[in-house]
Amino acid sequence: MNRSAEVSDITIIGGGPVGLFTAFYAGLRQMSVKIIESLPQLGGQLSALYPEKYIYDIAGFPKVRAQELVDNLVEQMNQFETTICLGETVMEVLKEHDGVFKLTTNSGVHYSRTIIITAGNGAFQARKMEIESEEKFQNQNIHYFVQNMNQFQGKKVALFGGGDSAVDWALMLEPIAEKASIIHRRDKFRAHEHSVELLKQSKVNCLTPYVPVELVGDEKVEKVIIKHSKTGELEELEVDDVLINYGFVSSLGPIKDWSLEIDKNSVVVNSKMETNIEGIYAVGDICTYEGKVKLIASGFGEAPVAVSSAKVLIDPTAKMQPLHSTSVMGEAEEVPKKAKVGVN
Amino acid sequence: MAQYTMVERSTCIACGACNPVAPELFDYTADGFAFALLDDNEGVTEVPEDLIEDLEDAFEGCPTNSIKMADTPFSCQKIKAS
Repeated sequence: MNRSAEVSDITIIGGGPVGLFTAFYAGLRQMSVKIIESLPQLGGQLSALYPEKYIYDIAGFPKVRAQELVDNLVEQMNQFETTICLGETVMEVLKEHDGVFKLTTNSGVHYSRTIIITAGNGAFQARKMEIESEEKFQNQNIHYFVQNMNQFQGKKVALFGGGDSAVDWALMLEPIAEKASIIHRRDKFRAHEHSVELLKQSKVNCLTPYVPVELVGDEKVEKVIIKHSKTGELEELEVDDVLINYGFVSSLGPIKDWSLEIDKNSVVVNSKMETNIEGIYAVGDICTYEGKVKLIASGFGEAPVAVSSAKVLIDPTAKMQPLHSTSVMGEAEEVPKKAKVGVN
Repeated sequence: MAQYTMVERSTCIACGACNPVAPELFDYTADGFAFALLDDNEGVTEVPEDLIEDLEDAFEGCPTNSIKMADTPFSCQKIKAS
């Protein structure tokens, strides 16, 4: 296959709010765009950590719910074609002899003329249970994300966690699963009172205060052994699937190894959002420069600068200063709305 | 065993996860970053026994591992930014 056919103008690493706006802006400047996101969903911290919280410092929004902002950004981005690769973490970035970047992820390879890093605080990953047997069943019947609850129809499911989304998952599982158990290490759930009340009234088997000790099975988990936090008493649960909802952890991870200039866990950029490597830009919380303010609002301001810098690098005849969107979008009405989404 | 806590400010991302689970232990500055309430983030005041479970929740829920827990006061330790 001819590699040039698959080379994007811009590959955006990180599908948080700033990444989404960067993708839109790249579309506006008629560049081909791909987003690579480590989580199986877009929205970054906003969707993963606080989808229901209100944000008050986005220009033009007196207040906006975090997930609503993400939904709007996705809608804005979808005015142009964007390739979205979910569940992929970029491990390595290499510049090839012709200047094209080769991005190797945990599941594939992508080529791009330029890269804009919008990775916030680094790649988010689901927090693990951290018990020895967890690794063994990693790609079997242990789930950290649920795309479709119906896959648990008629199953015996053990769900670990005690926060809002764990309780919500338990309530969604109740009518579908043959038996849904929620295991939390303390008696009190860290969820909205209303949800906890619904949980108590439901048929969900609430096992508290218990902690996981071992996952047992040949090819997949067949039973889980849990221990009472106070008495130490062990109990066995037969399971078809195990769901783990222990929140997220983020880390800069492999970005540190790409020969970028890093200062205090942030990528150093100049006023054109250029890093020390030509063709790689950084915007949003991951970048730093004198006077940097880590806010979504600043990231939104930095995105057009990085995109325009990348545009000029690829096409030296292009102007750094873009046309106003009012002019561009009038011409772009015929552009088909679509996004290609892939989840690994 | 006595427990002490403080927030590593250089890695806190102001996500707002700690205060809802441990409102008596963590609050935010005007710019949203977390700090330990007991002693203005000094990490030298023993966490009351009845708040230990809240502390564990906040510790485990912090997405950047910025909430630190120790069984000795933090003035006796050197915190290394992760």
